Amino acid sequence: MKKHDLIPFLTVLLSLILGIVVIALLGKNPFQAYYNLLQGSGLAPKASYAGHKGMITDFTSFLNALTPMLLASLSVLIALKAGLFNIGVSGQMLAAAFVATVLVGYSELPAVVAKPLVVLIGAAVGALVGGLVGYLRHRFNINEVVSTIMCNYIVQFVASFFINVFFVDPVSRQSKNIGAASRLTLVDTVVGDYKMDIPLGILVAAAAVAATVFLLGKTTLGFEIKAVGSSSRAAEYAGIRVGRTRVLAMMLSGGAAGLAGVTYYLGYFCSMQPRVLASTGYDAIAVALLGNSSPIGIIFSSFLITVISKGSTYMSSTAGVQAEMASALTGIILLISACGAYVRERLDRWKENR
Amino acid sequence: MSDYIIEMNHITKRFPGIVANDDVSIQVKKGEIYALLGENGAGKSTLMSMLFGMYEPDEGEIIIRGEKVKIESPNHATRLNIGMVHQHFKLVSNYTIAENIVMGMEPVKKGFGLFKTLDQKRANEEIRALSEKFGLEVDPTKVIENINVSMQQRVEILKMLYREAEILIFDEPTAVLTPQEIAFLLEIIESLRRDGKTIILITHKLEEIKKIADRCAILCRGKLIDVLDVKETDTKTMANLMVGREVNFSVDKPASEYGREVLKVEHLTVQNEDKFEVVKDVSFSVRGGEIFAVAGVSGNGQVELADAVAGLLKPSSGTITLNGKDITHASIRSRNLEGISYIPEDRQNVGLVMDLSLSDNLALKNYFKPPFSKGPVIAGDAFTGYSDGLIEKYDIRSGQGSETIVRSMSGGNQQKAIIAREIELDSSLLIFVQPTRGLDIGAIENIHRQIVEQRNKGKAVLLISLELDEVMNLADTIGVIYNGRIEKIADAKTLTPGEVGEFMMGVGGRHEKA
Repeated sequence: MKKHDLIPFLTVLLSLILGIVVIALLGKNPFQAYYNLLQGSGLAPKASYAGHKGMITDFTSFLNALTPMLLASLSVLIALKAGLFNIGVSGQMLAAAFVATVLVGYSELPAVVAKPLVVLIGAAVGALVGGLVGYLRHRFNINEVVSTIMCNYIVQFVASFFINVFFVDPVSRQSKNIGAASRLTLVDTVVGDYKMDIPLGILVAAAAVAATVFLLGKTTLGFEIKAVGSSSRAAEYAGIRVGRTRVLAMMLSGGAAGLAGVTYYLGYFCSMQPRVLASTGYDAIAVALLGNSSPIGIIFSSFLITVISKGSTYMSSTAGVQAEMASALTGIILLISACGAYVRERLDRWKENR
Repeated sequence: MSDYIIEMNHITKRFPGIVANDDVSIQVKKGEIYALLGENGAGKSTLMSMLFGMYEPDEGEIIIRGEKVKIESPNHATRLNIGMVHQHFKLVSNYTIAENIVMGMEPVKKGFGLFKTLDQKRANEEIRALSEKFGLEVDPTKVIENINVSMQQRVEILKMLYREAEILIFDEPTAVLTPQEIAFLLEIIESLRRDGKTIILITHKLEEIKKIADRCAILCRGKLIDVLDVKETDTKTMANLMVGREVNFSVDKPASEYGREVLKVEHLTVQNEDKFEVVKDVSFSVRGGEIFAVAGVSGNGQVELADAVAGLLKPSSGTITLNGKDITHASIRSRNLEGISYIPEDRQNVGLVMDLSLSDNLALKNYFKPPFSKGPVIAGDAFTGYSDGLIEKYDIRSGQGSETIVRSMSGGNQQKAIIAREIELDSSLLIFVQPTRGLDIGAIENIHRQIVEQRNKGKAVLLISLELDEVMNLADTIGVIYNGRIEKIADAKTLTPGEVGEFMMGVGGRHEKA
């Protein structure tokens, strides 16, 4: 392990210490608050549980939240490797989920057909949106940051138009719930004495992480993506088709975002709120950076961030620390991890100048 | 008190591994045009950078108007009424000409009687007056990105004049200009001189010196060779002094045995990114076992020529044929596969992916072929095995062997890695652009030996170099490029360095015609 691979760990440690200080200043017990976060995420036992609930139910619920975060971070990561900044993960998520909801979610297809179909459609639609962004970059040299942000708006408003006009549930003001057959989470499944939500999406996420590790480390396309990402001029010189590589990378990134979308809107949840984009797509940028831009690293970073957000409800009810504290803690971690990138840069430069 | 406005006495400046100026002394009189002549890396720009406060000399003193000064910064130099037009202009491209010129010392007025704001109108008027006085023909309201290079240069000149510079330094001012623009610039310089300004002109173009300079100092490898009175010296003598020096190491080269024609370039014209024709109607051919060296002063189109042959630039007309096959419109990858190896000028940004490992970089052009990969899947151990072999064979030194990130390697070893990769491709044509730039003597000799080795193996070599020594040492055939055209192609044995130098400066063959 290289020395500055440790930086993310130091970042997290420093943030947690800062968190302790802040919670202590609020007059609460910081260690209890942190323990509550773990309890809320099903990683530590709570004092008491309601009927048919247990640590395992909290944990499966946690995995439900983790799945889209992991996939979204993977999406950001793939684009980053090609030197592209995918700000449009949230939009790609919604686009994929919207199409999957309309085509499969409201259909009468049996579960064996519907569930794989949702995954396929999610990946395909995400890849299409991502590919469009890549193509705009390649053909017209439109910066992907601009085009992804614009795509976010377009997707957001087009989807809300259709939801509001055709698919709205008059009570919840959200899109009508999808059928259980197409949902990627098996809700209220009875296992032994417990009733739990089993996320099938986590299998998709695990497969996606493995596929990304393989793609980047063991394929010619991965090699080309890394070369283009580090130096497009050198890549071009070596005979790599830079534009094609960028389009493919954005398609893969969009595909991962699409998977994040279906596991979020057709798994963790079962409907879409019009005119709102999931913050997951934005958080994922920071999570990817915190994960040191490595597929394995983001398993840890998305795990951590999800623990904090998922456990916050329990923390606020038990320790009396406001749930917002969790967001603040996340903010501190991400802020310091951004500084970590700076520290790494300085270390590299220092090494070079030596 | 002397009658010199500038005296630089016994200036020595060292950079790591190189003495850029070695005990150089020059004296410039007020109101004269003083030229600094020398090849690339002769130390002209370094010397002037010290006068402009960008570096401080390690030894020696600078005396301005009879007073010994220590020039600490370009701002300090400006206060001493010294101005410099750099080779690369320093302008804000979305600001107007006037804004660029007054920046930092803007005429201000009180907006609403309260806030200081830029007095745009006064700035425009001042600049217009200044422009008319010296015949610069500049419209102060135009925006920099909408004007051409020649006008931008005049903006730089106005910037100096606006700061009341008395001593004007021009660093290679004509390198980027067309002949007409050059003539215009020389007129401007004349008119500045009539106004009493002192002008120092860094250049390696003899014609210009002959036209306007009063005196000319010749630098070679950091040393001052001579100071000449331009009127009493002919260009040939200057060229000889500039380039005619002893060749310090020669390469053993058996007599050439030319094979079949490998590369044929016909009527090739190439435009650069600014749609400016940089290679004009160039034709030549390179045979197996031949080193064809393109000699020329920097910026005369030789890099674009190499890029066009390698496929990085698309030619606007003409044809390129490799081993009898037309490759004018072929992709870079297919050219590589057809048999082109290319050692580019910019080894760090083009030749290598700096943040990838040495093994990745050594496989950069064949990662997609067996045994490196099978279909779309890469075999990692093949990379390492191949890389370890090349490290051994080419003596590439790096901290962690194959795993070393290329960025952390020294420049010489980076170049070794590129050359190893390109030679191992076993191409029929090898293009070397500035292969030894910035390297030490040992590395240079090693690279020269490898170039000759490839030639002896029957490969065609296209060598592009700014170092005349290198060209004279290695070439079987020399093509001299000037202003995008190949002015002369001849067997290397029939040319002297002096003659090549004259062609490089666009004054070649004059005495033949006369």
